[in-house]
Amino acid sequence: MGQNEVNKDFDVIIIGGGATGAGTARDCAKRGLRVLLLERFDIATGATGRNHGLLHSGARYAVTDGESAEECIKENMILRRIASHCVEETDGLFLTLPEDDIQYQGKFVEACQRAGIRAEVIDPKEALRMEPSANPALIGAVRVPDGAVDPFRLTASNIMDAKSHGAEVLTYHEVVEVLRSGSQVTGVKVFDHKTKATKSYYADVVVNAGGIWGHRLAEMAGVRVNMLPSKGALLIFGHRVNRMVLNRCRKPADADILVPGDTICLIGTTSSKVPFEEVDDMLVTSKEVDLLLREGEKLAPSLAQTRILRAYAGVRPLVASDDDPSGRSVSRGIVVLDHAVRDGLEGFVTITGGKLMTYRLMAEWTTDLVCKKLGVNATCTTAIEPLPGSRENAEEVNKKIISLPLPQRQSSIARHGDLAERLSHNTPVENSLVCECEEVSVGEVKYALNELDVNNLVDLRRRTRVGMGTCQGELCACRAAGVMSREGKYCTRRAKEDLASFLNERWKGMRPIAWGDTLRESEYMSWVYESVCGLNMSQKQSE
Amino acid sequence: MKFDTIIIGGGLSGLVCGIRLVKAGRRCVIVSAGQSALHFSSGSFDLLNALPDGSPVECPLEALGQLALQAPEHPYVKLGVERMKALLAEVPAFFAGAGVAVEGQGVRNHYRMTPLGAWHPTWLTLKDFFCCGSPEGKLPWRKAAIFNIAGFLDFYAEFIAGDLKKRGVECSVHLFNMDALEHLRKNPSEMRSANIARVFEKQENLERLGEILRDEAGDAEVVLLPAVFGLERADALACLRRVANRKVMLLPTLPPSVPGIRTQLQLKKYFQDCGGVYMLGDTVMKAEVEDGHVVRVYSYNHGNIPFVADDVVLATGSFFSQGLIAEPGRVYEPVFGLDVKYPEEREQWFDLNFFNRQAYQSFGVETDGGFRGMRGGKVLDNLYVAGAVLGGFNAVKEGCGGGVSILTALAVAQQIMDKRKIG
Amino acid sequence: MNLQQHNISDNNFEQCIKCTVCTVYCPVAAVNPDFPGPKQAGPDGERLRLKRPDFYDEALKYCINCKRCEVACPSNVRIGDIIQSARIRYAKKKPKVRDILLANTDFVGTLSTPFAPVVNVALGLKPVKAAMDAVLKIDHRRMFPKYAFGTFEGWYKKQASRQAAFSKQVAYFHGCYVNYNNPQLGKDLVKVMNAAGYGVQLLEKEQCCGVALISNGLINQAKKQAQTNMASIRQAVLERKMPVIATSSTCTFTIRDEYPHLLQLENGDVREQVELATRFLYRLLAENKTKLRFRTDKKLKVAYHTPCHMEKLGWSYYTIELLKMIPGVEVQVLDSQCCGIAGTYGFKKENYEVSQQIGSRLFRQIEASGVDFVVSDCETCKWQIEMSTSKKCEHPISVLARMLED
Repeated sequence: MGQNEVNKDFDVIIIGGGATGAGTARDCAKRGLRVLLLERFDIATGATGRNHGLLHSGARYAVTDGESAEECIKENMILRRIASHCVEETDGLFLTLPEDDIQYQGKFVEACQRAGIRAEVIDPKEALRMEPSANPALIGAVRVPDGAVDPFRLTASNIMDAKSHGAEVLTYHEVVEVLRSGSQVTGVKVFDHKTKATKSYYADVVVNAGGIWGHRLAEMAGVRVNMLPSKGALLIFGHRVNRMVLNRCRKPADADILVPGDTICLIGTTSSKVPFEEVDDMLVTSKEVDLLLREGEKLAPSLAQTRILRAYAGVRPLVASDDDPSGRSVSRGIVVLDHAVRDGLEGFVTITGGKLMTYRLMAEWTTDLVCKKLGVNATCTTAIEPLPGSRENAEEVNKKIISLPLPQRQSSIARHGDLAERLSHNTPVENSLVCECEEVSVGEVKYALNELDVNNLVDLRRRTRVGMGTCQGELCACRAAGVMSREGKYCTRRAKEDLASFLNERWKGMRPIAWGDTLRESEYMSWVYESVCGLNMSQKQSE
Repeated sequence: MKFDTIIIGGGLSGLVCGIRLVKAGRRCVIVSAGQSALHFSSGSFDLLNALPDGSPVECPLEALGQLALQAPEHPYVKLGVERMKALLAEVPAFFAGAGVAVEGQGVRNHYRMTPLGAWHPTWLTLKDFFCCGSPEGKLPWRKAAIFNIAGFLDFYAEFIAGDLKKRGVECSVHLFNMDALEHLRKNPSEMRSANIARVFEKQENLERLGEILRDEAGDAEVVLLPAVFGLERADALACLRRVANRKVMLLPTLPPSVPGIRTQLQLKKYFQDCGGVYMLGDTVMKAEVEDGHVVRVYSYNHGNIPFVADDVVLATGSFFSQGLIAEPGRVYEPVFGLDVKYPEEREQWFDLNFFNRQAYQSFGVETDGGFRGMRGGKVLDNLYVAGAVLGGFNAVKEGCGGGVSILTALAVAQQIMDKRKIG
Repeated sequence: MNLQQHNISDNNFEQCIKCTVCTVYCPVAAVNPDFPGPKQAGPDGERLRLKRPDFYDEALKYCINCKRCEVACPSNVRIGDIIQSARIRYAKKKPKVRDILLANTDFVGTLSTPFAPVVNVALGLKPVKAAMDAVLKIDHRRMFPKYAFGTFEGWYKKQASRQAAFSKQVAYFHGCYVNYNNPQLGKDLVKVMNAAGYGVQLLEKEQCCGVALISNGLINQAKKQAQTNMASIRQAVLERKMPVIATSSTCTFTIRDEYPHLLQLENGDVREQVELATRFLYRLLAENKTKLRFRTDKKLKVAYHTPCHMEKLGWSYYTIELLKMIPGVEVQVLDSQCCGIAGTYGFKKENYEVSQQIGSRLFRQIEASGVDFVVSDCETCKWQIEMSTSKKCEHPISVLARMLED
């Protein structure tokens, strides 16, 4: 372990590679600031990558939180424009089931209209025609402009744009100390997980965009941000059961949203308080699984016969209101804390609260504050300028890569938008599939390795969906590790360790729902990797 | 349909049992719901590599005493040392008879190399596969040339080279290509071992490869290749050796397993040649039991025409082959509803770490000492259970899947023959 | 609560655990790299098509619907059905005139039989073959099945009263092939059934089972014909209390399995009563309900070829056992593999090479067998074998008829 001082100065250091951190890095870089983004693991590993991937219309909040609803619908419309390759315009239905109060529907529609959300009451029969998977017992339906958004792609795309505007992005860099000089934050000390070295970086302003981990970062800076970790568990089903987002038309409750996302659909969430010690290792319990299934089947009865791929949980970074010393009342919406004003600590800003949907707005407000502190006068353009991948329409891209086999072509456009043409696909070998469930080719893996900051198989999964399909890595993990090793990404020993670690990560999500075909898949996976390949614990332990 | 014995399950265990019985003159039918787990074989069969507590086993027979203490329900414990020895002695001749050439013996494990370049203890290995007597120390080669097909993703020459170098073998890695393979490559997903093997069923392609090996292997004494040869012909390696003019050995690939498929085909053909009837792609749906005796068995394809037999063998495999089925709250055996032991609490079925011992892998059907299945603790007097559907062992962690399948199948066959006073 | 094990309906594709076994046994993928293979075209592709229908790949048309993937699958995934259903649901390309012509086996038959001598000669003439090749893209190397002069139904009319005299009756689904190309097989069936003590009735109304319509994408027409057939079968089974037997393994398979799986026509009430004549006879003989007397003066060496749909039905056992019952007949069972014709598939110019390549191993085995002739339950396998080898191919019922004691 070495320690070296780094002299390079930045205007702003952003801690946290979630959507908010990435969005802030993009905004700051576009406004001409010298930006450093630090992420302790990979991008989108926290709450960003562990939610529904719902492109909220805001309807869900319309009755209870009009302000959030308005923010949502505005950002919804912006994301459709600037992040079209991350968004699917599915629309959503709010279903009233016989056990729900139909009176709520009127209140709901009215609140939506107030917030500027198009909400259209649909005849139950017509609703079933539009969405055949919906519970046929429904007694009411309202159509709203909900959709699906892929958080990994969204984050990666923001990072890419930030980098193209000069930002430096360091993943696997964990902040271990916030450096202060008196009442001024001057920089951070980080631990580089890859080289095991500790380094310091300096900037005029440090932005804490650490999500739930921002609580600890604030502590490091000597200020207190009172966060309330709230666990939300979700289930991923093997394929798309529904075409439109399905919600329950009632006061928001557990397991009442079913979102179609890419090749799968997911139901969520539960909601329970968890202690800070557990936020790094969320386990989904049998009780949570049972609850999600029970409620999910009410939205779409066919979920009962649908294979579950995995269960996972994220932690919402809820913030206690500053004006409530008890910490019980949760702050609504976006929270930007200027610690100079709040705590007398200069050069430190915390951005938290909010939701994936409002990441851009959060970034805008944060950047506004940073600019003000730095005395920079530049306007925000992130609401207007499309992200990389969303600059050309799909038909144009399709024409450019028409020689690829159809499913591969469709999949790579869906994942990379107009960047799909940059995938290496010149030879038949590069067109060979690594991941057959998700149609990921050798060329796409190579592209991700070379251009998308991939350090290991889990990173690769976030960029390409390798291992996210039905087989959960059984067929493709080994191939991907082989390609990474062959491409010189790591040595064969590291490749085996990484493979073991990837399989363990996949198992973590399969274990809570390991019965039926998922258990068959797991057993098969054990045979292939442990018996045939001889992969074992020692590889894992040596990590 | 009247037979002497109906065997449900056409994988390793079912076939071994069936062959043993038809050779003794019994009229047997095997009903198999699809192809078997042999299709993912490593090219080796393990007997016993480790005890349940994790301690490694070098001499399986010597470890049986310890095994009895740690896993009293283990099928080997039911067999007992003497029967194990007797059955083990039968195995080489059994495979030779079926035309499956294997190396190794039960007294001491040898080591095979895995596709990831690790050394794995094992009992029997198919001829032509790369293996050695010890996982450490010098190997008898100074220099090895590892060849892979350009674009074949299920074999990892670099991983293998990495480990061989550790053991003092100089390695070169070569990628080769041939026109005959280009055709296959046009399809992005079908560059699979079995499809490649089909290309090399043709003599001209095999000879062309032999020439490539000869020209490119330099001064390497041994050439290592992925096991993509001899889907149907047994002489593929001999041909390569002749043309390449040096030792050529195989290493397993990721599924599908060409040597496994060939073994399946050979065993099946042998069974049929001896007069057995093999029905593929059919599922046994239900059975009629009267007074603790299986009377009739009904399948999906044959509908209202039942199978009638004196004895029934259940060799349906574990969860993978649906010999066992897991639901959120229960595990059951679907054909007869035989007794299966498992903890009620689902969370106890699993360990959080994928690579730790997983309890579910030891779940299986309970039997009496003679491998007869039970319902509600009562023995069904003509229903025998063999192979992976049995409970009490962990094939992955103990490295005993092949041994349990083969030995329990032979034991069950013997039991039937003794009962019927034949053989 | 969770019903994954009963997952036999729309979500059947999810039972796939990506073991790749199906890819080993696909006869098409082995020779045609344009076909994505059963795993990709089937369960993997289905998942993508459910995401968005534009993931549908026209290359699925290369699937010959042999169902050998389903027979091999250890997870009960109905791979072939998934592929065929996807073609029905998503294919945008309209069937060509040639496909419509080939698919309408009964219509073409109706037109051809009165002019059989002319048609047969014409179809054999080089200029005609060349024209069909160029205009219709029907491969010129393909030999057409000969059309008979006069249909089976026409012949039967004269037999009807004699058949009615039997106390026990079966209904016979003869299929287009027996009606137009090989009425002799129908006559043989009548002879054998009569010898077993059964009179043979025709269905009230029989149309082509529709297998060729389905594979050529003419689904509405297939459905209509299937409905007509089902009505007649129900009338026979439920009202006239007669089981329905057939001689074609493909017609039988289509009615029993493709109707409910691909055309969504439920047949559960009568499905068990529709079977192959060989299965019907096997049961009678096994239960000692009848006896057939065979001649003993003749020796025959035959090889049995298992047609793909027979393999899927799992019924070759019955045919083989029947053949073995005949004194003097030595039966060699060929390895079960596709002959490559797959109905109308092999007739199409673009498929000819693939078709012959698929069958090549079988042809070699047949040539090496040294048998008098090949026996098979499928008419299109017969055409392919007779065109591609030096051996004739007979239906098992014709063998039985030939060997019956006079």
